[in-house]
Amino acid sequence: MLKILIPTLFLLPTTWLTSSKWLWPTALTQSMLIALGSITWLNNTTDTGWTALNSYIGTDPLSTPLLVLSCWLLPLMLLASQNHLSSEPMNRQRMYITLLATLQLFLILAFGATEMIMFYVMFEATLIPTLLVITRWGNQTERLNAGTYFLFYTLAGSLPLLVALLMLQNSTGTLSLLIIPYAKPLLLMPFGSKIWWAACMIAFLVKMPLYGMHLWLPKAHVEAPVAGSMVLAAVLLKLGGYGMMRLMIVLDPLSKEMVYPFIVLALWGVIMTGSICLRQTDLKSLIAYSSVSHMGLVAGGILIQTPWGFTGALILMIAHGLASSALFCLANTNYERTHSRTMLLARGLQIALPLMTTWWFIASLANLALPPLPNLMGELMILTSLFNWSAWTLILTGIGTLITAAYSLYMFLMSQRGPLPQHMLALPPSYTREHLLMALHLIPLLLIILKPALLWGWFAC
Amino acid sequence: MLSRFTRLGTTLPRILANSGVRFVSQSQKSASAGSATLSELLPPQDSHDHGEVNHYVKNPDYHGFSTDPVVDQWNMRLAFFFGVSVVLVIGGTFIHYLPDYGMRQWARREAERLLKHREAKALPLIAEDYYDSSKIVLAAAGED
Repeated sequence: MLKILIPTLFLLPTTWLTSSKWLWPTALTQSMLIALGSITWLNNTTDTGWTALNSYIGTDPLSTPLLVLSCWLLPLMLLASQNHLSSEPMNRQRMYITLLATLQLFLILAFGATEMIMFYVMFEATLIPTLLVITRWGNQTERLNAGTYFLFYTLAGSLPLLVALLMLQNSTGTLSLLIIPYAKPLLLMPFGSKIWWAACMIAFLVKMPLYGMHLWLPKAHVEAPVAGSMVLAAVLLKLGGYGMMRLMIVLDPLSKEMVYPFIVLALWGVIMTGSICLRQTDLKSLIAYSSVSHMGLVAGGILIQTPWGFTGALILMIAHGLASSALFCLANTNYERTHSRTMLLARGLQIALPLMTTWWFIASLANLALPPLPNLMGELMILTSLFNWSAWTLILTGIGTLITAAYSLYMFLMSQRGPLPQHMLALPPSYTREHLLMALHLIPLLLIILKPALLWGWFAC
Repeated sequence: MLSRFTRLGTTLPRILANSGVRFVSQSQKSASAGSATLSELLPPQDSHDHGEVNHYVKNPDYHGFSTDPVVDQWNMRLAFFFGVSVVLVIGGTFIHYLPDYGMRQWARREAERLLKHREAKALPLIAEDYYDSSKIVLAAAGED
């Protein structure tokens, strides 16, 4: 663990002490070496599940894929941001990389935490760099509103979580994830225990986000700069899913009745946000709502509490992280050329930028869950476990899958096909950097097809 | 016709396009008029580069990293080497050779081996009872 944490921590002196000419190559190289080190976590050596274990941090098959995803995302964020930051003063560029590196640090500590209060503190800590990135580097005036929504939605959800965790600590004496599965369940009066269940879950449901508490997401994703959108979509949403999966163990007898409204809300959200996607004019907003849609399915998979549901949720989280981040990078390539997110203004790009169309195509196919990509595998497992619980969910998930395919196709056709607008005949061609960025997103996604057992979480054995 | 000028860069066709008829205001210029033409809202900004610079003019081998050609090339090399050759290839090899976690691949091979053996010997492929039926103790019919 330290071989990753120390280089990440020392990314901060690197950004401030490197000369301005070599800042970005150096930060990129260091973050890629950190990503290489993070791959060693995929080697789960122990039968108990917890590898790299010490008093504070450990990894297990659930947190490992998410950790690798977080570590891989930092070099991709640096690649994506290099161009739009190049015109800014050096100190602001260094500050930006510093914020991304501290976010990375908090994320590693959050996913690796074995004690729930540490997880909680890191969960909250990730809000600060993200808020700074959205509000200080966003491009429109709405970024302040977006930052406010982002911060206060999550905080409002997480304050009850703190109280709930402290109550659990009081009764059990420990909040260590290694011990808590074997502790006595928290016994309160019937209504009190329902409130306690809700207090535990609401923070993560807001973060995922669950439809109904999702309003912060389109704002935050749209107003954030590309690296902010990437990390939000790829990793921060998964913090919510991860937290739910960890906490489900202690909530056990209560969850049988309590999950019912939330599963229904999640599935309804899949359809509703999918339909909203079909009516979007703003490209980033479309991708943001598609994130809510996919995360609704993940929430359904986690709340159903079956092995296949959990496994499907984890696979879909990783696959969606890569695909959604890829789509935000593609949207950014459009934005850097046209300075607009309106889809109508950037149509017919296949004629102007044909190589980028390949990446648009693969990313759209990943988004609509084409087999044999892991996106489909995750969705199928969740679909099946929901069907096993209640046959009626098939209607909701089936329509949801159909709408997902529809809006992914719509996004591809709107941006790539059709006539090229007259005002856009002189677009700079795609840069090597952009192609590399897309390749580094989508090649891991394709490689996961060859070894999906990496993402099966606890149920790989 | 204007598209032919794109070979010279992006500024010339834009100037020619901007001087066209589209940007002549047709409305009355009075204080009470609520409408405004595009040219009043967005005056043409020539001094404000903001991404309109075509980097390929100065550096035909521009990779998208930096305006300095040396840094640009080295950045590209580092990004590709560490991104592809190190992480994807070496990391991928590491992942490929990870041990068989939870003995899943062993279980599959063992099952196939047993099946092959039993098919060859014409033995039943799998025992119908999961538990040994001689060890199950059932209560007698009349007892409670």
